[in-house]
Amino acid sequence: METVQDVIRTEGLTKHFGSVHAVESVSLRVRKGEIYGFLGLNGAGKTTTIRMLLGMIRATAGSAFLFGKKVSADSCDLWEHVGYLVETPSSYPELTVWENLEIMRRLHRIPDEKSVDMVVDKLWLTPYRNRKAGLLSLGNMQRLGLAKALLHNPDILILDEPANGLDPAGIVEIRELLRDLSSNHGVTVFISSHILGEISRLATRIGIIHEGRLVQEIDADELGRLHQKRLLVDAHDRRSAQAELIKDGYSVTATEEGVLEIADNEAVACPDRVATMLVGAGLPPTLLRVEEEDLESYFLRVVGATGR
Amino acid sequence: MKDILAAIWAEGLKIRRAEGLKIRRSKMFLITILAFVLIPVLMSLMMYLAKNPELAHRLGILGAKATVLNLQADWPTYFGFLNMAIVAIGLVGFGFVTSWDFGREYSDHTAKDLLALPAPRSSVVLAKFVVVVIWCVLLSLILLCSGLVAGEVVQLSGWTSETASHSVSIFAVTALLTILLCTPVAFFASFGRGYLAPVGFVILALGISQFVGALGFARYFPWSIPMLYAGAAGAESAQLGIVSYVILFLTSVLGLVGTLAQWRYADQF
Repeated sequence: METVQDVIRTEGLTKHFGSVHAVESVSLRVRKGEIYGFLGLNGAGKTTTIRMLLGMIRATAGSAFLFGKKVSADSCDLWEHVGYLVETPSSYPELTVWENLEIMRRLHRIPDEKSVDMVVDKLWLTPYRNRKAGLLSLGNMQRLGLAKALLHNPDILILDEPANGLDPAGIVEIRELLRDLSSNHGVTVFISSHILGEISRLATRIGIIHEGRLVQEIDADELGRLHQKRLLVDAHDRRSAQAELIKDGYSVTATEEGVLEIADNEAVACPDRVATMLVGAGLPPTLLRVEEEDLESYFLRVVGATGR
Repeated sequence: MKDILAAIWAEGLKIRRAEGLKIRRSKMFLITILAFVLIPVLMSLMMYLAKNPELAHRLGILGAKATVLNLQADWPTYFGFLNMAIVAIGLVGFGFVTSWDFGREYSDHTAKDLLALPAPRSSVVLAKFVVVVIWCVLLSLILLCSGLVAGEVVQLSGWTSETASHSVSIFAVTALLTILLCTPVAFFASFGRGYLAPVGFVILALGISQFVGALGFARYFPWSIPMLYAGAAGAESAQLGIVSYVILFLTSVLGLVGTLAQWRYADQF
């Protein structure tokens, strides 16, 4: 059921290249103002999905909708409101940053001639304004690609691996920029990446694609609940401590380093009880730490569990 | 129409920025202009050698060639050369121009920026064709003008206004027929996503034109027709019937429609 808030929607989106099933029946929804992180390994089908969202390739089955309108190669009216960056950003190498953006301004029929200077400033490209695009570093080329995507103040931003090539400071700048666009200007951001840390810091919702299939969609708030937690325990006499814990009803395993690991919810929730019990048994713990699974581990667990 | 004009403007800007106004930064535009200036200069040199056989003997191969051809160093002969040059150089040169304009979008990976615009993709393609045609017409004019100047410099005999107007009209139509053959090149650039396929296609088409010419079917092969019109086969040019023009025109239309369809219907990676 489509809601007014669903600005991006796919229904059973599928793309086969001969015997290769690049994308298989992907159905997702992105609400207005959301930052949707589209997570997947290389070759998982992220870019193919994005190209179908942009009408660049035709779906074998299913459809993509932006603002409730079906996407096709003829969806000219839609692109006025969509900015995008697909794969490696590219520009005319013999033209300057400003000239490349001026071409896009004309192609987007933006009447405001100052829009180019404004976006150059917004993307911290002013020092490179008159530099040929062919001489830009990968990071600045990425900024130029983002500037092209943002030039016409779109309502939807579809970005394929936008952090590629950016240095840590650049990544933070772009993250803050996207957050501002989403929170303060209602821009919906669909961002694909294989950099899990970046997505976890930015996205309000995450979709995990693996081998062409959308295997999970989760709200960023839910992540904490879904992450597995474990209690790590160590003592001078590990063997006795393990026996004591098992005797007390805990299921205990050992990590590769030999540290004791308890996954029981009770132990994770009340590690103090475990400590008290061990002290009482004359085996005071030398380590007692609750560890939460990070997004990377969670992602690998999800794709591992569903991988074919 | 507004979309097409906007796209044409943008294409024009790219071309002007890259190849025109800031010509020092553009290699392709400069190279094509130089080639189209150089050819008539060389032809007029041949004419000059034909006028001066004693100099020809001292100049080795070029002089020998001019002597062997037994050239008449006059304007009608020279115009004949110019008309054949616009076909021979045009088929290659215009083909390269088209390959560059369409193929660069794939080689530079900028085609994806042209696919999801508020303007129809057809306007981008048509704008490119307009730019290609303008560029090719400009090159034709450069060839003609530099040819006229070079002919005047070597002081060829036999100039009459009738000869000049007749030859220039043949030159103009020949150039037009050659330019019409750019559209299939654009299709192969779009289909092959780069320069290699269209350049290969131009070379193949020129090779086949030699072959069909030898078999006597030149007037049915689009890439031979402009050469026949220019008078390469002497009297055979008079035999060019409506069928030849229809074949060439249909080839051009097919190239245009194929290119539009490729941009509209093919998956774009």
